[in-house]
Amino acid sequence: MDGVSPDNEAEQSQGRDLGVASSSSASTGLGWRPSQLGFTPYIWSGETSDNSQTLRVVVRKSLLARLTKEIVETYQICNPQFKYSEELNPKRYLTSPSVGVLNDGYDNVNSDLILTVNYVLVNLERNRRYLVKDVLGHGTFGQVAKCWVSDTNSYVAVKIIKNQPAYYQQALVEVSILNTLNKKYDPEDKHHIVRIYDYFVYQRHLCICFELLDTNLYELIKLNHFRGLSLSIVQLFSKQILHGLALLKEAGIIHCDLKPENILLCTSVKPAEVKIIDFGSACMEDRTVYSYIQSRYYRSPEVLLGYQYTTAIDMWSFGCIVAELFLGLPLFPGASEFDLLRRMIEILGGQPPDYVLRDAKNTNKFFKCIGSIQNGENSEISTNGRSSYQALTEDEYEARELKKPSIGKEYFNHMNLEAIVINYPYRKNLPKEDILKENQIRLALIDFLRGLVEFDPAKRWSPFQASRHPFVTGEPFTHPYEPPLETPRVPVVQAVKVDHHPGGGHWFAAGLSPNVPNKSRPSLYSSLHFQMVQYPPANSYGSVGSHGSYNDSVGLGSSYGSYGESNNMFAYYSPVGPSGIHLLGHGSTSMLGNSPDARRRVIQYQPGNGRGISPSAGTFTHLPLGASPSQFTPPSSYTQVSASSPGHYGPTSPARGTSHGSPLGKTSTVSQFNRRKNWGCSGSPQTQDITFSPHWQGQCPDSSIHGEGTAQVLSSSPSYLQSNTDAASWKLRGVGANQKMTCLFMPSSNSNLQSTELGHDNPESCLSLPDPGDWDPNYSDELLLQEDSSDGSCLATEFGRSMNISSTEPFVGFGRFNHASSASPPISIQRQNGPVQAYSNVEMDSSPAHDVQAGYMRSMSKPFHLIPRMLQNSPNRFGLQSVQRFAHGRPTQFSDWNQIKAQAPPSGFGSGGPRSPRNSSFSNSMTWGRRVNPPVSNIPPASCARKDYARID
Amino acid sequence: MDNSTQESRLRSEHSVTYDSPHPIYAMAFSSTPSLASPLQRIAVGSFIEDYNNRVDIISFNADSSSVRHQPSLSFDHPYPPTKLMFQPNAHSSLRKSSSDLLATSGDYLRLWEVRENSVDAISLLNNSKTSEFCAPLTSFDWNDIEPKRIGTSSIDTTCTIWDIEKGVVETQLIAHDKEVYDIAWGEARVFASVSADGSVRIFDLRDKEHSTIIYESPQPDTPLLRLAWNKQDLRYMATILMDSNKIVILDIRSPTMPVAELERHRACVNAIAWAPQSSRHICSAGDDSQALIWELPTVAGPNGIDPISMYSAGSEINQLQWSAAQPDWIAIAFANKMQLLKV
Repeated sequence: MDGVSPDNEAEQSQGRDLGVASSSSASTGLGWRPSQLGFTPYIWSGETSDNSQTLRVVVRKSLLARLTKEIVETYQICNPQFKYSEELNPKRYLTSPSVGVLNDGYDNVNSDLILTVNYVLVNLERNRRYLVKDVLGHGTFGQVAKCWVSDTNSYVAVKIIKNQPAYYQQALVEVSILNTLNKKYDPEDKHHIVRIYDYFVYQRHLCICFELLDTNLYELIKLNHFRGLSLSIVQLFSKQILHGLALLKEAGIIHCDLKPENILLCTSVKPAEVKIIDFGSACMEDRTVYSYIQSRYYRSPEVLLGYQYTTAIDMWSFGCIVAELFLGLPLFPGASEFDLLRRMIEILGGQPPDYVLRDAKNTNKFFKCIGSIQNGENSEISTNGRSSYQALTEDEYEARELKKPSIGKEYFNHMNLEAIVINYPYRKNLPKEDILKENQIRLALIDFLRGLVEFDPAKRWSPFQASRHPFVTGEPFTHPYEPPLETPRVPVVQAVKVDHHPGGGHWFAAGLSPNVPNKSRPSLYSSLHFQMVQYPPANSYGSVGSHGSYNDSVGLGSSYGSYGESNNMFAYYSPVGPSGIHLLGHGSTSMLGNSPDARRRVIQYQPGNGRGISPSAGTFTHLPLGASPSQFTPPSSYTQVSASSPGHYGPTSPARGTSHGSPLGKTSTVSQFNRRKNWGCSGSPQTQDITFSPHWQGQCPDSSIHGEGTAQVLSSSPSYLQSNTDAASWKLRGVGANQKMTCLFMPSSNSNLQSTELGHDNPESCLSLPDPGDWDPNYSDELLLQEDSSDGSCLATEFGRSMNISSTEPFVGFGRFNHASSASPPISIQRQNGPVQAYSNVEMDSSPAHDVQAGYMRSMSKPFHLIPRMLQNSPNRFGLQSVQRFAHGRPTQFSDWNQIKAQAPPSGFGSGGPRSPRNSSFSNSMTWGRRVNPPVSNIPPASCARKDYARID
Repeated sequence: MDNSTQESRLRSEHSVTYDSPHPIYAMAFSSTPSLASPLQRIAVGSFIEDYNNRVDIISFNADSSSVRHQPSLSFDHPYPPTKLMFQPNAHSSLRKSSSDLLATSGDYLRLWEVRENSVDAISLLNNSKTSEFCAPLTSFDWNDIEPKRIGTSSIDTTCTIWDIEKGVVETQLIAHDKEVYDIAWGEARVFASVSADGSVRIFDLRDKEHSTIIYESPQPDTPLLRLAWNKQDLRYMATILMDSNKIVILDIRSPTMPVAELERHRACVNAIAWAPQSSRHICSAGDDSQALIWELPTVAGPNGIDPISMYSAGSEINQLQWSAAQPDWIAIAFANKMQLLKV
């Protein structure tokens, strides 16, 4: 035992550093050591005593146990009259409000079952008990509880639906769809769709039991401070999501609410995978009743415009998700539908095809007609004015709607998709060769996205087509992808396909492909590659929208209120007859989400427009549980629908009584099944790092945009737009970009691993965009967690220390993960170089990014960095607060802590921050926080700060 | 040992034993020896399997290394007290000259005034709504910054914060999902608790909606029985698991991962106490009849941490207290004996 050695130089290199004592002890009991008076020096008695120990028989419990664990028994021995009743213990309510006013007191005013810790949900039929341990989230549909199943010794997520007919019915649809997907289409659980385990009714609540998953992709991005994930991760997730989407398409199911929040990590398997959850809005492709679907950022143009939709809307959402995974920010963070469309048009450089605009019910809201509507069927959308429609300007919109459209912040100001992707900052430390490779993949990504966020639903790639893309397959990307023919699927209804846009390949549509190497491509696109749905001009759907039955007030959208809570929409179904639904009234709601970093989606209630729909033949809604969708087709009405007989959507006879998607909005989808737990980042040192990444710290809020280098980008970007006629070929641009990047990054690649983040501390290098390279010095694509590193670096900055945190500890399963670099003190080198700046100075609006930064900086400026907890907390809704609360503003005693923590004491007791022992142990267990690993699993971010107690008085 | 006689003499000088007629569990030092004399009071609670238990007041003279039982100060206590504690700071308005306030926990929290020659029951603090049932208190802690504040832990999963001056409940928190076994104050409004649910949680009375879990036992629901918050350095706490020979040292800045685990006891640990005068020292005692004093090193060797000194008692040690007023003295309780050991 070394004694009090305040400056123990050796400590960092050896053994476990307790972070205890030495220097700080000097202030208190300096040098106090117990003398050997009553005590004797400790002598390790060795093996013999150990043996004797094993022989020791515990005859009786210690008094300690008898007055704690067994105190009731003890008291009963002392006094046979003693009575204790566990039943009388105060209950910790998980449901709010917790006052029982409905359903004999079991439900609160919102018709939610009032849950307490250890409440038991019982499936009486199977005699299975679900012990409620926590609430994972809640929404309009009800609540999601984390439950313990002792039979299986495992946790599950149970969705407890509100005790109201509409929610109940809608949940049955979800059950039916998931059952079908699970059992019929994916019996082996290979398609990345959440598994449904069980469902039952308890206390008049439908309870649906799902596998418990981990954090969602939005939370994951958030953990990364809204910086994008590595391309290999994006690719991995894309492939998996596509698997799921392919299954959905095969089953003829539209998810209708695909977004990062509804894609959850599943870390119980290795390697980690993602799964699609929340089929509460899903519908059969042939029963697309609701027109107000999809979360705004991920809403497809056809839904926005009120056009008929297909599974292709999920592909649009998927494209948005892929882009967001890469960028860390939503591609189209529209603050309103107008803003959304505006962003699409600006970023994609095109607009929805005329055939859509001609028939979509909301066209007039966003477009003005500048040509003859009768314009030929083959009118090509383009930016050259040939379209008959022109998007309204803000002023025009205001004039029409009598209100200003909400316009959100610009994150990728005036850039088209190509520029956004190409100019997105690189992860630092990307070696030169990798930059070349990265650039190639980025080009593939652009091509990939172009096929997904394609205005024309008929041209948008199917899951199958997308899954063959080089970006997904990992094949070298050499030329624009030409998707294979989609195998024509002829399900229930199949209409003849007509391509409205001969010559309109997606490159063209995007205004991108002036120099298509392959001359035949356009025709391929137009005639062969797409499963063209025939959309007769002025067909049914258009009439749907415009014919008021669905939407009188266009502005409000004909939402079915999926996001509104307590919008008075009740769909009553008669389980027996095909009564269909009666929409007694509904509040059309819209989500607000002004900025991606404040993505709490505020629910906005708009005045409900009551409508009475008396659907003729109820169909899908009456799905018996567990039945496969195909059983339910009343093909007649349904065929007609897709065959577009306008009459069907007439005000008097909506052909379908359906309710999918409807009332079960999920405001809190964010929280879905498992917001916390085992997502290894949380609580791990690495996670912390995320929080404190030097990148953010280093940045100065007023970073300016550098003109130089930008010019290049700027100048090139217009050419993209004009690319239809421009001579610059795709390839040329690609090459150019490569070259540019190459030279740009020469300097940084020189600096290599060791100097990495350094640039950031240099104000000059402030980026307006999150730079993925900034948070992971040794960015390694193998696993996601690496996204979260930069551990040491934050510490270094934070504590002004340069410690090698687990620099030599390989994270199991993650390959290289060297923190040494990040821990090294900031020495800015490369970013100073002009060329490097160039890329970071992409023309863009810096303010949003700064906001984000500012947020981080604020939190970082707090003196008390309970680092680990911060991290843990980040995925947790309550965490941060509580930590900070605990951390700050404490008057007396704890100020000492604060100082110590903030100042990086030399060593020993006083030294703050996670020390090597922990880190090392973490690093060993750092596999995504999988449950098998005790240390990590113990780190429930949730556990760190959660609402786990309640005031009684 | 070269001189056994000398050693025994030394040992006797540095240890004092008090024999009680009953098995001893709870034990407490008074906060300050009275100015007039070197006498310090020690309260000792019996563990008798009967409704009627006893609390004895012993006066301890550190100068002469002697103890004296004061029969006039003994009083009856229902059930074995789970904890005894003298009021930590003497300058409270509650303290009258030459008298000490003593709190005891069991079926309820009780306050007693220990005078020169008598003990008076001052109050019984009961938060139960029913008289028929009772949820015993497993422990309590007296806030030494805000001496009117006592927090109790109960098997009904709650912690109750009392304002003992007013005799009212300041707040009651459902602190855990299972029985709460111990509670410790960190500062005026911050306390921590341990529970049968296996977690250590920190609470701040300024935000009663949240707590912070800083440790969970590796096996789910392995009860944590005792908690000691290092008053010299509030970043550190220690806890013990049921039926475990380990003392888990926690750094509240790094939740969930103990900074150290002290594993030299050869049977389960029953009590822990941080040194009042040093942030690096902690004493522990357990069923292996040993009391160990540990010095937390800056760096732990590969084989774990060894204690720096030890004491072997005659049987399982059930209780351990480190005198804040006279930090050279540690009291342990085993069987019917209380023993004071000089360190």
